[in-house]
Amino acid sequence: MKIINLAHGELMMVAMYIAYVLFSSFHIDPYLSILIAAPALFGLGVLLQKYLINPVLKVEAIIPENQVILTVGIGMVLANIATIIFSSDYKTTPVEYATKAWYLSDYWRESPIELSLSMPWSVSFCVALVITASLWFFLTKTDMGKSIRATAQDKDAALLMGVNVERMRVFTFGLGSALVGSAGCLFIPIYYLYPDLGGQFTLIAFVITILGGLGSTVGAIVGGLILGVFESLTATYAGMGWAPVGRFMIFVAALIFVPGGIMSLFKKWKLGK
Amino acid sequence: MKRLTLIILIAFALSLSASTLFAAETFDLVIPLPLTGKQAKFGEMMKRSYEIAAEEINAKGGIKKKKLNLSFEDSGAKPETARAIVEKLIDTKKQPLIVGEYTSSCAKAVAAVAEERKTPYLVVASADDDITRQDYKYVFRQNAVNAHYADGLVSFIKNVAKPKTMAILYESSAFGNSGADAMEKDAQKIGVKVVLKEKYEAGSVDFKPLLSKVKAARPDVIYMVSYVMDASLLMKQIKELRVDAKLFAGGAAGFAIPEFIDNAKDAAENVVTASLWCFKMKLPGAKEYAEKYKKLYGDYPSYHGASAYSALYVVKDALDRAKSWTPDGIRDALKATNISTAFAAIKFENKEGYQNQNFMDTIVMQVVKGEHECVYPDNVANQKYVFPIPTWRERR
Repeated sequence: MKIINLAHGELMMVAMYIAYVLFSSFHIDPYLSILIAAPALFGLGVLLQKYLINPVLKVEAIIPENQVILTVGIGMVLANIATIIFSSDYKTTPVEYATKAWYLSDYWRESPIELSLSMPWSVSFCVALVITASLWFFLTKTDMGKSIRATAQDKDAALLMGVNVERMRVFTFGLGSALVGSAGCLFIPIYYLYPDLGGQFTLIAFVITILGGLGSTVGAIVGGLILGVFESLTATYAGMGWAPVGRFMIFVAALIFVPGGIMSLFKKWKLGK
Repeated sequence: MKRLTLIILIAFALSLSASTLFAAETFDLVIPLPLTGKQAKFGEMMKRSYEIAAEEINAKGGIKKKKLNLSFEDSGAKPETARAIVEKLIDTKKQPLIVGEYTSSCAKAVAAVAEERKTPYLVVASADDDITRQDYKYVFRQNAVNAHYADGLVSFIKNVAKPKTMAILYESSAFGNSGADAMEKDAQKIGVKVVLKEKYEAGSVDFKPLLSKVKAARPDVIYMVSYVMDASLLMKQIKELRVDAKLFAGGAAGFAIPEFIDNAKDAAENVVTASLWCFKMKLPGAKEYAEKYKKLYGDYPSYHGASAYSALYVVKDALDRAKSWTPDGIRDALKATNISTAFAAIKFENKEGYQNQNFMDTIVMQVVKGEHECVYPDNVANQKYVFPIPTWRERR
């Protein structure tokens, strides 16, 4: 779609506030609130794309990427609305299973290694896998998914083939927002919540996207894994203070050596064969 | 059109004369605070406490019969903003003294401005050592410095826990660095070996790489210097990984406020923390202030609030004694301060390389059955400490 959305983190923040409100007023488990937050975020995404981003895309401007600046602005507005409504206090959903974990030594007394699996982290991981798999299925196997990919690859050709490009754009942005909405619900039992939370996660998402290759789903997954492992390794062997250094080293390295992202490498190797 | 201009001019002149009229009756004090951003929580608590104190002072006839009129400016915990606010206050509003700010980086910026413009500045809750170590003549601090923040806790570790090794985890900020350095020195002094000293980025999600290292080092005491949300995430993940130690200790800030218990839940149990103040401690005035705050805002304040509340009494005391309400007159009066407040006894001294620093006794709080109790030193404690603490496996 050639749309860079720098309000992604703020959209997650919105979803987390939805999960928080549902938890604190109706005692709905954050994991269940995915069913409410994701559609709500879908709606928000559709509105943003239809009434804010699409009109800006149509205008010829001095800066070619003025849509990027628009999303930064949207992010700021969302963060400040959240500050007005919820104040800037830290919020959490103190669920009972927040510190629950499974220990290998509980099941096997003489285990040589100590291994523990945190419950909320494992749940988030599994649900994220399911969501990613269904997204992949949707994009590759369904008619609508194919139309989306066609629009992303070549807007004009897709238009000629009878794809409603405008609608695909709106739907895609909604879908992206719904996905980040479910991410927010999965994330809130692990972390906490405040209005300015979005920025740092947008940053990570951006690094991952550049690393994986703009516009590629598989690239994003691979990029995410590489960045996660790399950060964990720097944190363990070089110290946690160095983790952001590692993050941006890999970012700069990706820009210099593989400007097209990991996906471009994959393509090159396939051609080489 | 001319008539309209005239009306506006008249209205403007009227409002000007009105404001000068009122100025004779009131003493305006603008306080810079972080009311937005990550530190807004503490800023808000301090704002409320200043307001409670101002109300009490005004109810008793104000300062030299002048009504104390407070207002607040949001610095968002950004040093540049704090600096700009204070420059404006001193240069255009001619405010003869500055009170406030919270984070050490902001207080440092403000202190530099105040010293440069020869205006007294009372630091309320910023702990970085350097603020009162720069030969500043106009900067006063009523809360304990980082190097002495944990004095009570160090004596608790030495006399009660008696460990051999220690790990220090701290956030990479001015506050975290100085807290960790101070504890490292203190540990050496009492013969405890520091086996691990690691910093992390505030706001991190995953502390597990760090905690795995701690677990491998097997320290007797784990000492953490963190703000609130990092503190509870750290304890939660310590519980998840079952990192056992004889004592989990926090360096005030994040560990000393009730939100720590709300967020970390059972992972917070038995954690001790250095603190400057606790509403349960036996100190005249402390309980009354805490109850008043609770009645108005629904929860008990932490030392940040108590310090802010008492700061206005220090200001009142200094203004009452000041020969003139000029920056220098107020500075001389502040220098001679010797009062006891609901926060601590306050007296500004020059020693150990500090200037105009108040040296107060610090306390130890422990989370017992989901509540902060003051457990050490014995003369102000309201409850006996829990030691030794059970391991995570036993706690299930």
